[in-house]
Amino acid sequence: MTSSLKALLVDYMAVERMVVSSMLRNFHCEITLAKNGKEAVDMFLEGNEFDIVVCDKDMPIMTGPEAIVKIRAMGATDVKIVGVSADDNAMEAFMGAGADDFVPKPVRPEILQPMVQEVINKKKN
Amino acid sequence: MDYSNLRRQAASLKKGLFDQGHLDEQFRQVEDLQDEASPNFVEEVVVVFFKDSGRLISNLEQALEKYPRDFNRWDAYMQQLKGSCSSIGASRMKNECMSFRDNCGQRSVEGCMGSLQKLKREHAILRQKLESYFQVTLEAPPCQSWCHDRWIISINLLTDVCMFTMQLLRQVGPAGAATRPAM
Repeated sequence: MTSSLKALLVDYMAVERMVVSSMLRNFHCEITLAKNGKEAVDMFLEGNEFDIVVCDKDMPIMTGPEAIVKIRAMGATDVKIVGVSADDNAMEAFMGAGADDFVPKPVRPEILQPMVQEVINKKKN
Repeated sequence: MDYSNLRRQAASLKKGLFDQGHLDEQFRQVEDLQDEASPNFVEEVVVVFFKDSGRLISNLEQALEKYPRDFNRWDAYMQQLKGSCSSIGASRMKNECMSFRDNCGQRSVEGCMGSLQKLKREHAILRQKLESYFQVTLEAPPCQSWCHDRWIISINLLTDVCMFTMQLLRQVGPAGAATRPAM
């Protein structure tokens, strides 16, 4: 039986939400969408729990790194956070904010899949 | 209808998009996400892409007319557009986004204006070519589904023939059966 992970996908651009959520769905994830960092933080404030967060960097209202700092400060230290960006210099910003991993855009399923599998394995154990 | 000819036409249009550099490998990744559960996924993604990108280009055009010049804001818009372009494999558009961002970095208004015009041209060309491609694919369903439809039609026809034959035999009845020569 395949575990269903709860994934939060945070991206301002609709087309990117469509593509990455389709990949996550293929990895048997249950997906929640947010359009910016503030919406993502609000999800956590409302008591939602996620196994994995895939988060873009540059978004209006609140950026990805800003949101990650707040999410970690709330005590959500177990959730795996993966930063994604087409910006070559984004990795440092994400890791400095508390992300676990970084994936450059365009997101490739073969890069994302092992990260999802790692969370599945961790959850099983 | 000559589906094989239409499929060849669709393949040729798609090959042209790749050969001319309008699309890159990422588009194939998006195609791989299409399945029976979401049979029009690629077209839906492309529609959303042109809606998003059209809006961003429009926002950028308005921002370019404002004073003082806000290169950081212009760069932020283009960063978003670059991300979208890379997500669907819109390669030439992505390159123009990068060119624009370089001009932002150099604080060149003229350079930014020039890059934007090129970007708009690439946007229009890609849109037109993809619309043509999807129009043809709409008329020529993939062989798998077409073959499946042929099988369904054949099975339905066979069922109808069997039903008709059984009805005929019932009408002919035992008397009809008795007149048949013994085997």
